[in-house]
Amino acid sequence: MPAVRLPLLMLVLASGLLVSQGCDPSSSSSSAPQNVQPIVVNAGPTTTAFDEPFTAVTVCVPGTTNCETIDGILVDTGSSGLRVVGSLLTIPLPQQTVNGAAITECAQFVDGSSWGAVVTADIQIGTERANGVPIQAIGTTVSPTVPAACTASGPLENTVAALGANGILGVGLFRQDCGFGCTVSTAPGLYYGCTSSGCLPTTEALALQLQNPVWLFPKDNNGVILDLPTVPAAGQLSATGSLIFGIGTQSNNAIGSAKVLGVDANGYLATAFGTQAYGGSYIDSGSNGIFFLDAKTTGIPVCADATDFFCPLTLQSATATIGGTNGVTAAAPFTVANFDQLNGSFSAFNNVGGPNPGQFDWGLPFFFGRRIFTAIELQSTPSGVGPYFAY
Amino acid sequence: MRRHLFMALLLLSWPAAASATLGGDVSTVDVDRVGVQGALLGITGQSAYSVHELRASSGTVLREYVSPAGKVFGVAWQGPWMPDLRQLLGPYFETYQAAITAAQSSPHRRRGTLDIETPDFVLHAGGRPRAFVGSAYVPALMPVSVTSASIR
Repeated sequence: MPAVRLPLLMLVLASGLLVSQGCDPSSSSSSAPQNVQPIVVNAGPTTTAFDEPFTAVTVCVPGTTNCETIDGILVDTGSSGLRVVGSLLTIPLPQQTVNGAAITECAQFVDGSSWGAVVTADIQIGTERANGVPIQAIGTTVSPTVPAACTASGPLENTVAALGANGILGVGLFRQDCGFGCTVSTAPGLYYGCTSSGCLPTTEALALQLQNPVWLFPKDNNGVILDLPTVPAAGQLSATGSLIFGIGTQSNNAIGSAKVLGVDANGYLATAFGTQAYGGSYIDSGSNGIFFLDAKTTGIPVCADATDFFCPLTLQSATATIGGTNGVTAAAPFTVANFDQLNGSFSAFNNVGGPNPGQFDWGLPFFFGRRIFTAIELQSTPSGVGPYFAY
Repeated sequence: MRRHLFMALLLLSWPAAASATLGGDVSTVDVDRVGVQGALLGITGQSAYSVHELRASSGTVLREYVSPAGKVFGVAWQGPWMPDLRQLLGPYFETYQAAITAAQSSPHRRRGTLDIETPDFVLHAGGRPRAFVGSAYVPALMPVSVTSASIR
């Protein structure tokens, strides 16, 4: 990418919502490689984000050139499917209906749920395109009442402020957000059929569930790479990187010397630290810290004011070993800074850490200075069939 | 032998739904079992407490830690989908909600995992869709010999 274009690109990505209606996304004149989508780690739509990677996604009314580009979309290797805050949508994406009921989803995250209609869109990311894809329009619904079950695991995240983003682009390990479980049972609590009189839990066929759009691309469809630069220990205002589609499909996405780490059915790895091994470890660009163990185990104190982050007196360096289910291991050196002493106006840090007893969540700080591969389930790559992580 | 058979029948005949509420009596365990439309997997006796393990119909396993005084002092979950925390946390659900709502407007919002520490109530949660994990406990109800690391 010519250097002269970078400031403009950063300006566009940093400028909040960008809407362009009636465009033809296939006429993009980008000179970047065909499978590369720029991402930026900045303060995002809420202006307070840190260590969250954002990008822009174009959605179109299926089969038309009636399109809209929305930026400030969180790139999340920990989930699957595209979700957009519905109030940002200015084009009429058609509601998915089954037997006359408007399919609506309760998307579950660790700290709450997002409730909103399943609608269908053609998705364009860079020059990659997936047509007729079920996505979630968060906060949009035909029924005024949110089922009690959808608020049973925490408050709703139905607005940009509550979600912390204009949307979420889930490019994780799985093809669908739910998978087989939702085809045979309503117990997962994800899908509902709604009419104006209310919503009832429903099963949902695989093809109708929210889809990781990457596996629906005609090519470069077996996974993604998140490629972020190194940042200094003091952090920096923002950082730009790439979301690269495909693994081993082009000259720019070869796996090279990266270690391929197989995951179990839940997407878990193991992490060895000190004399202990911790199952239930994962790599997740949607986590804004390296969240691991606790003050007692690590000897790193939590902050006095924000006890969910670590505040060591001096920068701490440590090395763990991440192990895959295939027996492959990879060294994982990392650092933890004093969270209180980081520049509050910066958004890109490689050393934010916090407690997460008994587990390792390798969040975005771990991605800086690395190319981290996420291979999608059942998709073939030169290094084997997904799902796996590699770096 | 006959007693075992009776127990097995009792387990099978429980209505398809149950578990306990944090801070509640052990009797609320069965309320939870009904609530999650789940199955009681077993009760494990430890020296200082017992663990009631349930599987919700979503596949998520719930563990409820009961003190010798019969109080549920801790709960933990692991599985593909989030448990009904309104039921599982009982009177502490509002504390949990308030902590998250406050975090949503904090400039230091932590994303991806939760770490709520108050004098009365502690909750850790992590994971992502298809693989959630978490635990919560009430420090004041913990038997003296039990550490928080036991609750998971």
